[in-house]
Amino acid sequence: MPTLTFPLSRIEGHAQIIIKLTAGEVQHATLQATELRGFEYFLQGVPAEQLPIIVARICGVCSTAHHLAAIKALEAIYQVEPPPAAVYIRELLMLGQLIQNQATSLFLFTMPDFPGSEGLPSMFEFGGDDANIARRALEVRRVGTELIGLAGGQFIHPIRAVTGGVSSPLPEDGVRALRERIASVLPLACELFERYWELFQGLHDRIGTLGDDTPSHYLASVEEGHAYYGGNLRVLDPDGVEQASFAPHEYQRYLTEQPVENSYSNATLFNGHVMRANSLARLNLLPRLGTPIADIYMLRFQREWGHPAHAILLFDLARGIELVYCLEKALEMLEHIPDGEIKAPYTPRDGEGCGVVEAPRGPLIHHFNVVNGLVEKARFIIPTQHNILAIEQALMVAARRYVHGDRIDLELERAVGRVVRAFDPCISCATH
Amino acid sequence: MPNPFGVLQLSGCAGCEVALLDAQEWIGQRRLAYMPLVLTADEFPPVDTLLVSGAVRTDEDLYRLRAASKRAGELIAVGTCAISGGVANLGDRDEVRDLFFSAMERRHVPRLLPKLRPVDAIVRVDRYLPGCPPMPHLFMLALFGSPDTRLAASVCIDCGRKKTKERPTQLRGLQEGLPDPGICLINQGYLCIGASTRGGCQAPCTKAGNPCVGCRGPSDSFISRSSDEWFNAIRKVFLRMTDIPSEEIERELHAPHLSLFVFQFADYTVTTRRPEQVL
Repeated sequence: MPTLTFPLSRIEGHAQIIIKLTAGEVQHATLQATELRGFEYFLQGVPAEQLPIIVARICGVCSTAHHLAAIKALEAIYQVEPPPAAVYIRELLMLGQLIQNQATSLFLFTMPDFPGSEGLPSMFEFGGDDANIARRALEVRRVGTELIGLAGGQFIHPIRAVTGGVSSPLPEDGVRALRERIASVLPLACELFERYWELFQGLHDRIGTLGDDTPSHYLASVEEGHAYYGGNLRVLDPDGVEQASFAPHEYQRYLTEQPVENSYSNATLFNGHVMRANSLARLNLLPRLGTPIADIYMLRFQREWGHPAHAILLFDLARGIELVYCLEKALEMLEHIPDGEIKAPYTPRDGEGCGVVEAPRGPLIHHFNVVNGLVEKARFIIPTQHNILAIEQALMVAARRYVHGDRIDLELERAVGRVVRAFDPCISCATH
Repeated sequence: MPNPFGVLQLSGCAGCEVALLDAQEWIGQRRLAYMPLVLTADEFPPVDTLLVSGAVRTDEDLYRLRAASKRAGELIAVGTCAISGGVANLGDRDEVRDLFFSAMERRHVPRLLPKLRPVDAIVRVDRYLPGCPPMPHLFMLALFGSPDTRLAASVCIDCGRKKTKERPTQLRGLQEGLPDPGICLINQGYLCIGASTRGGCQAPCTKAGNPCVGCRGPSDSFISRSSDEWFNAIRKVFLRMTDIPSEEIERELHAPHLSLFVFQFADYTVTTRRPEQVL
């Protein structure tokens, strides 16, 4: 059976696409995750209190999400509630995570795909009026890492959040300085996003599709005014009706994880259905975000593509709306940092617990069993896993569009890259 | 633009790459010729400097490292994983090894090597940039150098917390209690190893109230020596400043979250790593 292999770049981690054909007919399209470190195995026997430090290393891009999900799972086991002032700081941490990630995915990963008839190898290649996109994009992105640095103490692998709360309050001068930085970067982000939207329309005109638009199930842990801190997991069915809402510890009743034979990543299903998580899932669940500029973009988005929207390249635009939302939300929250206790006392104990946060790619669940203070079992349900089957389905749609009985359109290689980047998979996380 | 450089990412978390992107001042100064995270390139091009992050965990890591290093001038091992394997090293513990490999028989994906390797066990490494991840300003230093830059010898010097006469009698848990903001974490009973950890990071962790876990590795004087000697130095600090029983310190020093970093240098070397090679 002829096999086409496409290595992937401009995504987080190592993966490739395999497309198999018989007599010009596409049989399979798969995403292979090709790395593995084995966190679920080597965490066995590790003292539970060290989890927030060690699991951050699952991913340098999403370390904040892992750090917090682990802490929330330990808090569930120890039965301790962090004080509101500590949760506030953790929410700022998540907003920093989202700003950093969405800016990276938008401007570094996907924007180079849009211009001309073939796209560009990287954002450093933009010329003419767009020549300074790279510098400005990195500026927007850096505000996200500065916010992680402020709220998390460290810009990657943060440390300020600890079981029971946070280890210290935010430095006042740092808060003031960052407020000014975000205020100055917000118009820059909007300007870049406007240009992004224009180039996106250009791509749409050129290729005449926005990819797989099959109505689908959507999974997210969000509610209006949220800061990606996570709560109940919510599922929207393909008709846009909320079909389920469940607490993190109930996840096994709804989500099943299955190994994928040719990949180091597992895939998750909702009640046996293929589903989607990430930016578009969140916007489909939240028709209104609650900050002024983001909601203007939201209206424009819904006028153009309806609600819920299903075409996969819309994940990209949705990420831009979220970038604006997170900047606005962080600005609003930095205005009045609440006083009060930042850490609740607790006694470490054994047991089982789950923690969830809404990571950039969707709900991230950490599930631990602790016996004699040591990890007996650690399980990670990774947002990228929620999307694995949706990605493969969208790859099939793209492959069938460009593979003909007698020839293969060269657009195929670019198309499969765009499909995967739309879901912004994180392979280090997915395989862990 | 002159002096092209490349970034080869092996098995790791991409945190080092994210830190490099944060150090955005290199844009326009040196050309980034290879870095799959942000750049599509079919082949590995010749580069003056190659930054390698991540450990050699799969046969593909091994192949790519060998191929890329042939086309590179200077090679810098970046971050804990490239220098000593980092977090994935925990997978080589005997008790998890069997489990790990038996569960991971999947088809048509790169094979896992029986033992994880640091980069200099495979190819020649000219310099080392430790940190998990290294701070952005350290990347600038690695890419451009500057004879005037003097990094703090240890995290302690960057930290600025005040040492007191307080002598704690027992260790506090890593996340236990709420540390006093101005006072040395050792005086408060936390197992902080910043006194002998390489400086230059500006001590973000201890400043935020979290003990140093040693991610930058040992300070210059311990680079070429075994980690036992580093352990001894840490023990002596606690003996001098606290009344915590030394067996307790001994036991906790071997905790996994420290062992990720503490064995970073001498214990992994195939060739000697000299202090002047380490940023």
